[in-house]
Amino acid sequence: MSSNSALQPVNERGWRSGFANLLRNENLEWWGSRRWLTQAGLWLLILNGMVTLVMFVTPAVMQVTQDDNAGAMDPISMGIPAFFQMGATALAIGTVILVQGEVVGERQSGITEWILSKPVARPAYFLAKMVAHSIGIFAVMIGFQSTVTYGLFWLANGDPLPLLPFLVGVGGLTLHTFFYLTLTLVLGVFAKTRRQVLGVAMGSLFGGMLLLNIIGRLGLITPWSLPNILPALVIQIPLPFATAFMPILMTAIWSIGFIAAALWKLSRLEF
Amino acid sequence: MLHWEHKTGQKTFESPKGGKHNMNQSNEIVIQTRGLSKSFGEVKALKSLDLAVPKHSIFGFLGPNGAGKTTAIKLLLGLTRPTSGGGTIFGLDIGRDSVEIRKRVGYLAQYPQYYEHMTARETLRFTARFFYTGPKAEIEARVAETLELVGLAGKADRPIKGFSGGERQRLGIAQAQINYPDLLILDEPAASLDPQGRRDVLEVMERLRKYATIFYSTHILDDVQQVSDTVAIVNHGELVAQAPLEELLVGSEGTVYSVVIKGDPSQAHGRVVGQPWVSGIRATTAEGQTAWQVSVTDEAVAEATLLRLLLSDESVTVTEFGRKQYELEDVFLSIVKEDNNE
Repeated sequence: MSSNSALQPVNERGWRSGFANLLRNENLEWWGSRRWLTQAGLWLLILNGMVTLVMFVTPAVMQVTQDDNAGAMDPISMGIPAFFQMGATALAIGTVILVQGEVVGERQSGITEWILSKPVARPAYFLAKMVAHSIGIFAVMIGFQSTVTYGLFWLANGDPLPLLPFLVGVGGLTLHTFFYLTLTLVLGVFAKTRRQVLGVAMGSLFGGMLLLNIIGRLGLITPWSLPNILPALVIQIPLPFATAFMPILMTAIWSIGFIAAALWKLSRLEF
Repeated sequence: MLHWEHKTGQKTFESPKGGKHNMNQSNEIVIQTRGLSKSFGEVKALKSLDLAVPKHSIFGFLGPNGAGKTTAIKLLLGLTRPTSGGGTIFGLDIGRDSVEIRKRVGYLAQYPQYYEHMTARETLRFTARFFYTGPKAEIEARVAETLELVGLAGKADRPIKGFSGGERQRLGIAQAQINYPDLLILDEPAASLDPQGRRDVLEVMERLRKYATIFYSTHILDDVQQVSDTVAIVNHGELVAQAPLEELLVGSEGTVYSVVIKGDPSQAHGRVVGQPWVSGIRATTAEGQTAWQVSVTDEAVAEATLLRLLLSDESVTVTEFGRKQYELEDVFLSIVKEDNNE
């Protein structure tokens, strides 16, 4: 066809074909719309609202009501589990809900077929979604919230908490959330409906908690014990090496496995 | 009746002039498939498709619903993998070089879907960026030019979710040709359009033919007859015919002249049937007129002699005379019917 020589052709090759454009588009979904603002506000309310509640509101109420335990309450020892333990579960649920339709929805509607009819490598399609959501979720739902939480801890404690253990906790929180992000995305590649994606991802989250109570050693090879370990890491309670680091290592391995499985399946999908 | 001959698994069109049309004779073939097959479990959706699409042709890919047209298109684009066989586009392997092929192809799906929240302009910008990195102003100019071409300039900044079926189809054509493709693959491009929309689509196709090869599937035979130069017909996943439209419309009965006369035809009949180049006359009578289908073996002699012969007979008046043209619909239905009966 007659062409316009002023236009510079894309030079991406191999698995990167189409990646830059897809990533730009996925990033636009996060940053070019109100999504980032909505999510920032929502998670400020959920995570830091919860921290504020347990660190400031509850002790104040107890003092007003002259509760005997009011003086024994340490806001930090209540705030850390609230943020890292309950927050990990809340972030996992939020992530699953947020990305449940990302791949399966586009597959069902025909958008994936349309995109893959362009010069796009299949890995690029999946990886662009994963990277954009990782950036968005980390920045808005974890990074920004953790910064606010750190400020709240400082306010409650009078002094800043040791930064390194706090960052280790944030890292653990990120890894736990990343696990559910990759799980939900890989389910989107394998499953046929959003319901299946939601069911399996939520089943893993809540079923895992239940299973952990029955078979404790599952905590070593799954991410299910991570929310329980994170507060201890932040408070710097000494834990056996395996208890502390096996879940972290295994969560990372599972996540990589999910990505590999998604890429494998996507290369075989037919549209 | 048209005659189709099996030849090494492929049905080849035998023209009335005696020559078998072989698409490989064409100098430049854009799409070439060899034994391209696809099964879904026990169901054979496509059986050993051998296609050859010449450069700069408007190639109509016809077949009833479920014949395997969309499956074939998806195989060409690498959206589906063949069970056996393969093919090339621009000489590149459809399996191995799919991304490279898609750089030079524009595709419109049968039911095109886009991001509903995006506007037409955003959709085209997104599509263009799969092909071009910049400059931004040039990309925007190309987007604007394409919107103009398909008549969507006035709705360029409205979200797609409010678009009608026809507007979506126009957008589909716009996104398919934003990259100045060498090959346009259109799956039922006019199926959901009103007559005006269909005409517009055909016009766009006509306009693009000098730049690109157009391969499109359809079941709207009128459209094919208007714009296509080459046609392939698939039925039950099998290629049953492939030929230039002209040859297809001539039919396999040989050259046939259609004559309508008034008056007593017996003398004229004897005179015509006695000619050595006349192979048969099929006659029907209605409302005092006689219609003849005169099959001839020598087109040149017939053209020079037949009408003169009839006019020389004073007992009849010739009211209509011409070479019989088959409608594509007749040809299509007879081929499909014949194939179904096999």
